Amino acid sequence: MTQPLLADYFPILVFLVIAGGIAAAMVGGSLLVARQKPNPEKLSAYECGFEPFDDTRRRFDVRFYLVAILFIIFDLEVAFLFPWAVSLGGIGWFGFLSMVAFLGVLTVGFVYEWRKGALDWE
Amino acid sequence: MAMGGTTEMTIGLAHYLTVSAILLVLGIFGIFLNRKNVIVILMSVELILLSVNLNFVAFSSWLNDLNGQVFAMFVLTVAAAEAAIGLAIVVIYFRNRGSIEVEDISTLKG
Amino acid sequence: MSWTLALPELVLACSGLVLLLAGVIPKQETFFPITMGAIGALLVTAVLVLGQGEGTALGGHYVADAFSGFMKILALGAAALGLLLSIDFNEKEGLGRFEFPVLVLFASLGAMVMISANDLMALYLGLELLSLPLYVIAAFNRDNARSSEAGLKYFVLGALASGLLLYGTTLVYGFAGTTNFDRLADAFSAAQGVSAGVIVGVVFVIAGLAFKVSAVPFHMWTPDVYEGAPTPVTAYFASAPKVAAIALLTRVLLGPFGDLAAQWQQVILLISFGSMILGSFAAIGQINLKRLMAYSSIGHVGYALMGLAVGSDTGLRGLLFYMAIYVFMNVGAFAVLVAMRRQGRAVEQVEDLAGLARTDLGMALWMAAFMFSMAGIPPLAGFFSKLYVFLAAVQGGFWTLAVVGVLTSVVSAYYYLRVVKVMFFDQPAGALDRAPASLTIVMAGTGLFTLLFGLFPAPLLAAAQAAAAALLG
Repeated sequence: MTQPLLADYFPILVFLVIAGGIAAAMVGGSLLVARQKPNPEKLSAYECGFEPFDDTRRRFDVRFYLVAILFIIFDLEVAFLFPWAVSLGGIGWFGFLSMVAFLGVLTVGFVYEWRKGALDWE
Repeated sequence: MAMGGTTEMTIGLAHYLTVSAILLVLGIFGIFLNRKNVIVILMSVELILLSVNLNFVAFSSWLNDLNGQVFAMFVLTVAAAEAAIGLAIVVIYFRNRGSIEVEDISTLKG
Repeated sequence: MSWTLALPELVLACSGLVLLLAGVIPKQETFFPITMGAIGALLVTAVLVLGQGEGTALGGHYVADAFSGFMKILALGAAALGLLLSIDFNEKEGLGRFEFPVLVLFASLGAMVMISANDLMALYLGLELLSLPLYVIAAFNRDNARSSEAGLKYFVLGALASGLLLYGTTLVYGFAGTTNFDRLADAFSAAQGVSAGVIVGVVFVIAGLAFKVSAVPFHMWTPDVYEGAPTPVTAYFASAPKVAAIALLTRVLLGPFGDLAAQWQQVILLISFGSMILGSFAAIGQINLKRLMAYSSIGHVGYALMGLAVGSDTGLRGLLFYMAIYVFMNVGAFAVLVAMRRQGRAVEQVEDLAGLARTDLGMALWMAAFMFSMAGIPPLAGFFSKLYVFLAAVQGGFWTLAVVGVLTSVVSAYYYLRVVKVMFFDQPAGALDRAPASLTIVMAGTGLFTLLFGLFPAPLLAAAQAAAAALLG
């Protein structure tokens, strides 16, 4: 081992290779196996509301901001759920109920944005 | 932790602290020297919080104490809430003024 | 688990959530009932604080003592009075949305967490829980360009300040090895020399907190934000958050960093000098009353911090006493500002008060009482508050501090008395609208307190003394 530091990162290389392999297999598989019948509607931008090739400095709808803002709040609860889930055995009922209380607070926020109509696109 | 002493290239506490100090200074300069866009200010704030988190995690590992990592999680969460509120305020400001140029934010003075 | 000690905070948090649901679920507008509910929740919490025991809880993150009790009652009282001021104003300005009282409630919860913080983590979370709702309510008049600009400015500078504060906490944590206040205090009392990292960290923490109390040199945001935000919001900004931030600054500096007094005392001294001088001179040319009150609040923070700079038992008592009196006279003065309307439109210039004595003598008299009190003229409450901090400075041997304090008080008397002169001797500029009952009640209550305080200073003094003793112990 002349380069132990790099050796530490070997698992990451393995992950990269596996991830690349799976991605290539999926795309390649669907190219090989599926029947291709393209039409303009199918080739158009998918779900994001933008033209795929366009001026990047175009203004876009402020509602995307709202969705992003709402997403980031609920996205972060996962950051707390993971350590909680791993240590659940050690923290007992108090730890369990703390997380229930936390999720309850989030639910209140969710009810609020729902009633306010923040989840309706129109 | 990098294994100290066994390699040529040991990344120690001082390296992390240096990076985070650079990020902090970049963030502060980004806020004060920025004359263009408020969004850049929001990004600079995030940069400052990033430097803080890096510090916490580096110290936590160096001290062998989990407190720093827990603190970093809270900082992450609060940073998200702060970014959400900041964006919301920028949006209502834009609705009123039609611009988010930093130089235009000067109605209130005296 | 001794989490029951934190019952006041838990009750306030739960009532905030319940009020949020109660406000959003019905189809019709629920501003008035929710505001009343929020005031009720604040009062219930204050009663619970009065009956609270002492000790630490939640893994040492939370501490309850006489000091925290004193400051929490102040912060809760200021929040309740601020909500009372907002009812009529918000309805007339079309801001009658139930989110307002809920946000004030959550901000007050943040203030309580800050006051009871016994760990850097609790300090940060409390500070942010206070700040985030404040950013929103500064921009609460969201169709108004000035309000949204105030919100934006407050947000940018507030985020920068909390970033600096956090960077300071990382250094303290890294170089002292813990975030708990008690263990930090042990670490610093045992150490022979303190590492430079800790000193830099403490300076960053002081800078972040000085921003929140809007002390010089971190005051730049104050006049703009105070002017742009809706007036009841400004009234709240000038009271409860300052109480909480001063409490936190005091607890942090005298608790964990108590043994480093030699290092931070100079910083606090400079902040105090700067705030007193800027607060008195910069306000002289102001024609907008809200800006004038902003500079006035900067000056008052300078006087209050004098007590902390002295660092003694009497200094701390003076500081607590000062904050208590400041909150009441400040809310009273803002009640007058909120009531200023001509033909339904809110006005906020000094000359809009012209001739008020002839059109509405009652309001003019209350305003005069608040202005005289802020200038420190005996026998009003403001005189006693200044007297006690000056006394502490003299006893501690800080003669320059006391002399600068007296001189700046004289300078600041100029602009306070100018308001009185405009009200009583200038030609009326047209009558102001009649003040609604809720504002008259606040004016009369805080006004009577300001006028008659000199007769019964003993209970408040005793409470401040007990609170100071609890911290210095």
